[in-house]
Amino acid sequence: MAVHRGKGLATVEYPTGMNQNGDPSQAWIKVKPDGRVDVFSGTADIGNGSKTVQSQIVAETIGVPYDWVTYDNSNTDSSPMCTGTFASRATFVAGNAVLKAARQVRERILAVASRELEIDPADLEVADGSVSVKGTPAKSMGVDEVAGAATFVHGELLTGDGAHLNPGAAIIDPTTGEVDKPPHAAISYAACTAEVEVDDETGDVRVLSLTQAYDIGRAMNPTLVEGQIDGGAVMGLGFGLLEDCYPYYPTAEHRGDGMNTYHVPTMAELPEIKNVLMENPSSGGPYGAKGIGEMSNNAQPAAIANAIHDAVGVWVTEFPITPERVLAALDAKSEGRSEPRREGRVVAFDEELSINSFTSAKTWGA
Amino acid sequence: MKVVGARLPRYDGVGHVTGRTTYVDDVRVPGMLHAAALRSVHHNARITRLDTGAAAAMAGVHAVVTHADVPLLVYGHLSGAGIPGDEPLLAKDHVRYRGQPIALVAADTVDIARAACAAIEVDYEELPALFDVRLGFDGDAPVINDTFGNWYDQYEGNLDVRQIRKGDIDAAMDAADLIVSGVYRTQSVEQVPLETQVCVAIPEPDGRLTIHTCTQAMYFSLGVVCSHLQLPMSQVKMVGGTVGGGFGGKVDTASDTLTALAARKSGQPVKWRWTREEEMLASGNRGPWHMEIIDAVTSDGWILGRKMLTIHDAGAYGRFSVYGLTKHSFHHTGAYSIPNLHFDGYVVFTNKIPTTAMRGYGVTGLSTAIEVHAERVAKELGMDPYEFRLKNANRVNDTSPNRIAYEDPSTVEVLQSLAAATGVELGDGLRAMTREQRSGDMLPDHLVAQIGSGGGH
Repeated sequence: MAVHRGKGLATVEYPTGMNQNGDPSQAWIKVKPDGRVDVFSGTADIGNGSKTVQSQIVAETIGVPYDWVTYDNSNTDSSPMCTGTFASRATFVAGNAVLKAARQVRERILAVASRELEIDPADLEVADGSVSVKGTPAKSMGVDEVAGAATFVHGELLTGDGAHLNPGAAIIDPTTGEVDKPPHAAISYAACTAEVEVDDETGDVRVLSLTQAYDIGRAMNPTLVEGQIDGGAVMGLGFGLLEDCYPYYPTAEHRGDGMNTYHVPTMAELPEIKNVLMENPSSGGPYGAKGIGEMSNNAQPAAIANAIHDAVGVWVTEFPITPERVLAALDAKSEGRSEPRREGRVVAFDEELSINSFTSAKTWGA
Repeated sequence: MKVVGARLPRYDGVGHVTGRTTYVDDVRVPGMLHAAALRSVHHNARITRLDTGAAAAMAGVHAVVTHADVPLLVYGHLSGAGIPGDEPLLAKDHVRYRGQPIALVAADTVDIARAACAAIEVDYEELPALFDVRLGFDGDAPVINDTFGNWYDQYEGNLDVRQIRKGDIDAAMDAADLIVSGVYRTQSVEQVPLETQVCVAIPEPDGRLTIHTCTQAMYFSLGVVCSHLQLPMSQVKMVGGTVGGGFGGKVDTASDTLTALAARKSGQPVKWRWTREEEMLASGNRGPWHMEIIDAVTSDGWILGRKMLTIHDAGAYGRFSVYGLTKHSFHHTGAYSIPNLHFDGYVVFTNKIPTTAMRGYGVTGLSTAIEVHAERVAKELGMDPYEFRLKNANRVNDTSPNRIAYEDPSTVEVLQSLAAATGVELGDGLRAMTREQRSGDMLPDHLVAQIGSGGGH
């Protein structure tokens, strides 16, 4: 009886935006008389940080400090349409909507400043809340002064609106699945190594570390990206080892009904997590961003399963990999029942789980 | 650029960590009633009698909402995509999963609402239930779904299977040195947001409804509420945008429509907050996936072809399952280029809680299956797991299962980066690899025809 260590690898890819696209987001922006910026978007912040990221995009694009931006996603009367915060779409799709709205605001600021400074707008730039003449930074006026002039001198409202829609991709041949255009807005990539300890007496698996490399296009806010990746890693660990709504499936009883009967990962299970962020900017995302929200829990379950095989030489392919399943697999191995069927070129694992072992209504095979 | 890319603090972070953010549960309205639901105690049963008379007559009860109060009882989550609805907002004459809502009571207190639910008289005729998707195709299986049968049968009109076909799978199997098959089964899990499903609906003096919502998608939920209530979008104001965790579980609009109906029927503001038990036992969760993979591989480590069968356990109703399966089919080669494909996918119904979106929808279980299978194949070939993955990694202008050219895949780069971070020494050839279009040794004959052009992201 001993504790065995193992390492396992997994690589994943994941789309940004709804599958087959066709998921619009819209935004509009107004500027107060002192140059402060109000963003209206229908994008819910579910803890993913979309209020923060969209405010950063607006501040960057207009050229004002981050704390000049107020973000209002509070209701559907004042905020325009957003498909929603899911499908890893908020930063890319909704971010593009606020980006376009902010570009319009910047143009209107430049137009008013041009009249005030009597200089062609093409020769002006906006940065840090100030409009200045390119190459002659001494000649400038604040965005607050521009907004004041727009309001009280020119009788104008500085606004912008933006909408983003990746056009819907149709399946043009349902027998082959061929589509007429890209069915995603971008694709993110990641790879993960899990290091585990497996106790061959109890079947208990402890994840010691998760090391992960992500290409997420561009990190709009590295702290929030790391938060997504760390949170996703722990969720992936729960999926791989712990959580199951139907623990005795196909029996539908025995469902956990609370935090004491359905165990999600806690600090007790938290492994060491080490992340590497790579930036390979997307062609269509705001400032090169791609989605990161969802894929961050996809690589760990397989990496853990592969690490368990590395440690004790058994494959568990029914999830989660509970101690019971590990012990059953170890028993099968010691009794010589764990090898796949090998016949000529064929290596067939898990035949006892296949639909072929349950029904003749659906025929399936090579 | 100084703002984008900066480690700025979360916009609303201080409020979240000091308990001062107003979530839906914090909304207080004068005269607010509290709601509770009557839910099915059976997995599959006909409702032969439903009598709310005694409950409605109880002191402190202001409204009992049943199927008869819903202007449009059945509205599909994917109606906009042409997929018919199959799920009644409240069960009418049949319950198909334990926990399915039958009635909602609005009362002065939660305790009164719960007591009134207990006073609703329901007679059931219990029927056999089905839980294992592998048995759903059998001729003598109980019929689960009135609209679609036991598996969804209306892909692009009339197909009962989501198919991917690419290249020549038979030729790939014939040419293979090894044919490796495996079966992968991932489970149902709950999203477990800290904030359970919760809603406050307020009938306004001008006839409008204000709905404080925990939805992840305010406009989607606005559409769902307005469809069931048969109202123009001008009559409903969704107030939300600050959500106490969702992870996919708050797209379903689980509480808004019924709370709105109770508010309209009672004429008073109504709050409905699900208990943790309800969240665990009755809210949509991540669906299980049954996946069988057969890979045709060469002894030097190329994946020539993949045959795959996927059965997605939707639970009792469709919700987003067809979307999830289609997305799954589009990604069933994972991060690799496999030129010959034969994929069959089914959405099968069972008498379980309808499943819904969760982080990684359609792909989390798939990535799990693909990557354990990749490891098995590499081990069977006696090949290094990095080398096997890097060799087959998707590259610029390789094409996806549905024939879209990859614009800038990073599979090669993330693997190299991970190897460096974990002290794994890759050989010179693997270290020098890039995402750029295949050539030389990395462009064997079997990958020539699949190369596309004009980057598709």
